Amino acid sequence: MRFAAASRTQGWLFLFPAVALFAVFVLYPAFYIFYAGLFEWDGINQGVFVGPANFWRIFTDDGPFWIAMRNALYWAPLTIIPQMLLGFLIAFLLEIRSRLVPVFRALFYLPAIVSPVVIGIVWQRIYNPFGGLLSDIGMATGLRFLNFPFLADTQTAIFAVIVVNVWQWMGFSMLMYIAGMKGVSREILEAARLDGISTRQTAVHVVWPMLKHVHLTLILLGVIGTLQTFPLIYIMTKGGPNHATEMLPNYIFQQGFILQNMGYASALSVVLLVLSLGLSIFQVGVVGARFSFGGRA
Amino acid sequence: MIRVPPLTRHLATFFLSALAVVWMVPVAMMLAVAFTPPEKRVTGFGGLLIDEVSLRNFGIVFKDAPILLHLFNSLVITLVSVGLVVMLGAMAAYAFARMRIRGKNILFFLLITTLMLPVPTLIVPLFQINKSLGLLDSYFGLILPYTALGLPFAIIILRGFFEALPVELEEAARLDGVTQARIFWFIALPLSWPALTVVVIFQFMTSFNEFVLALVTMDNNALKPLSLVPLIYSGQFFTQPGAMFATLTLITVPVVVVYFAMQRFMIGGLTTGAVKG
Repeated sequence: MRFAAASRTQGWLFLFPAVALFAVFVLYPAFYIFYAGLFEWDGINQGVFVGPANFWRIFTDDGPFWIAMRNALYWAPLTIIPQMLLGFLIAFLLEIRSRLVPVFRALFYLPAIVSPVVIGIVWQRIYNPFGGLLSDIGMATGLRFLNFPFLADTQTAIFAVIVVNVWQWMGFSMLMYIAGMKGVSREILEAARLDGISTRQTAVHVVWPMLKHVHLTLILLGVIGTLQTFPLIYIMTKGGPNHATEMLPNYIFQQGFILQNMGYASALSVVLLVLSLGLSIFQVGVVGARFSFGGRA
Repeated sequence: MIRVPPLTRHLATFFLSALAVVWMVPVAMMLAVAFTPPEKRVTGFGGLLIDEVSLRNFGIVFKDAPILLHLFNSLVITLVSVGLVVMLGAMAAYAFARMRIRGKNILFFLLITTLMLPVPTLIVPLFQINKSLGLLDSYFGLILPYTALGLPFAIIILRGFFEALPVELEEAARLDGVTQARIFWFIALPLSWPALTVVVIFQFMTSFNEFVLALVTMDNNALKPLSLVPLIYSGQFFTQPGAMFATLTLITVPVVVVYFAMQRFMIGGLTTGAVKG
C-alpha cells in the first residue's frame, strides 16, 4: 500500500508540468472565450456585459459569418475528396513501382512542409493576371479563360484558394495511404492477382475498402483542417474581395485584432470551438474515426 | 508491392512522373524568380523560364533584411518548445502509461479533445494572457503556447509507445530497487526514440511554420520569427520580386533540410507508433 501511495504522488510530479502548461495555455483560454463572448469589449477598456447579444448578432445579422459558413461547406469536400482520391491513386501506383517510393514521396510531400505564407505568396504570382504563370500559359496556348483575375473575382476567389490547399496537402493524404497500404496483407493481393482480377479492380474493390480507417482519419483531420484555415486566406486574399473568401479563423482575427471587437471575436471563437468539437466528437463517436497514424487502427 | 503486367508498370511510372512535374511547378517558379538577376524584368511564364542564373537577389536580402536574426528567433522559439514538449510530454506520457493516478482517464480524454481544437479559437484569450503575463514581444509568449498546444499529440503518441514496451524489463529493474524516476530516465526514455523522433519532427514543423499566434504576439520586428518575414518586407521588396522570392526560398530551406534529414525516422515512427484514440 505504501508503494502505491508513493507512486501516486510521484505520478503527479511526472504529470504536473505538462498539466500546468496545458491548463494555463489551452484549457483556461477555451473557457475564457465563453465568458468574454458575453461582453462588448475592445480588449483595452473595461467591457460592457451584453449577455447573449453577440451570439444573437452572429446568427441573425452577420453577413460575413454566413459567407464563412458557406465557404467552409465548399472548403471541406473540395479539399478532402480530391486530396484523398489523388493521394490514394499515388500511393497505389507506388505499390506497383515500389522502388520509386522515396523520390515521389519526397516530391509530393514537399509542399506540406513549406510555410503556408511562402505558398500563398508564390500562388498569388501564379494567379496574377498581369504576367502570372496561368495568364502566360493562357496567352501561349490560346486558352484565354486562364487570363482572369481568379483571386480578385468574388465568384472564383474561394475556389482559387481551395486549389492551393489541395496542392499543399495532397501529399499528406498520400503519406497516410502509403502507411496504410503497408498493413494490407500480401496474401490477399497475391490471391487477387491469381484470381485474374485487373489492377484497377484490385485498387477499387480490394485495397480501397481495406483502408477504411485511413479514409475516416483523413476526413476527420480534413474537417479540423478546414476549421483551422488561416494563413493561406490571410496572405492571398485577406478574406476579400468583399468577404468572398472569408473563413471563420480569418473573421475572428479581423473582428478581434483589426476592428478591436475582442468580445465579438470571442463569441465567434465559441461558435468555432463548438462546431469543431461537435463535428469531431460526432466523427469519433458515431462514425468511428480515429486519430490513427499508420497501419493499425 | 503489387505485381502487374509490364505495360501497367510503365503507365504507372509515366503518370507519376507527369504528375510530379506538374506538382513541382510552383516550387520551380519560386526558385526561378529568386535566381533571376535583379536588373532583369521577370518575364516568360510567370518567371518560370530563366536564361541567366544569379545569386544577387540573395545578396540584396542579406544586405537589406536581417534574415539571420529572424532565423535565430525562429530557432530559439522552435528548439526550446521542441525540448519542452519532448521532456514534459514524455514524463506525462510515462505517468499515463505506467503509474496509478486518480482521474487520469478524464485528463487523457481532455487531451484528446484538444487535438480537435483549432488554434484560431484561442488567439483572443492567448493574446490577453500573454498581455497580462508581460509575454507580448517575448520568445516565451510563443514558446509556452506552442509547447502547451504540442503536448496532447506528444503525450498520445508516447503513451501508446510506452504501453507497448515490455513491462518485464521495468519490473526487473524495480525488483532490483531502481526508482521509478530512474527507470523512466534510463530505460523507458532511451527505448522510445522512434516515437520521440516523430514528436520532434512534428513539433519542429508546426512551431517553425506557425503563423497566427506569432502574428498577434510579436509586434517588435527584431523578435519576429521567419514565418512573419514576408509580411515585414513585402512593402520594401514590392518592386523587387527577385528579392522577395529569394526571401521565400531562404525561409523554406531550414524546414526542408530538417525534414529530409529526419524523414527516414518519421516514416518508421509513423508505422510503428499507431495511436489509440
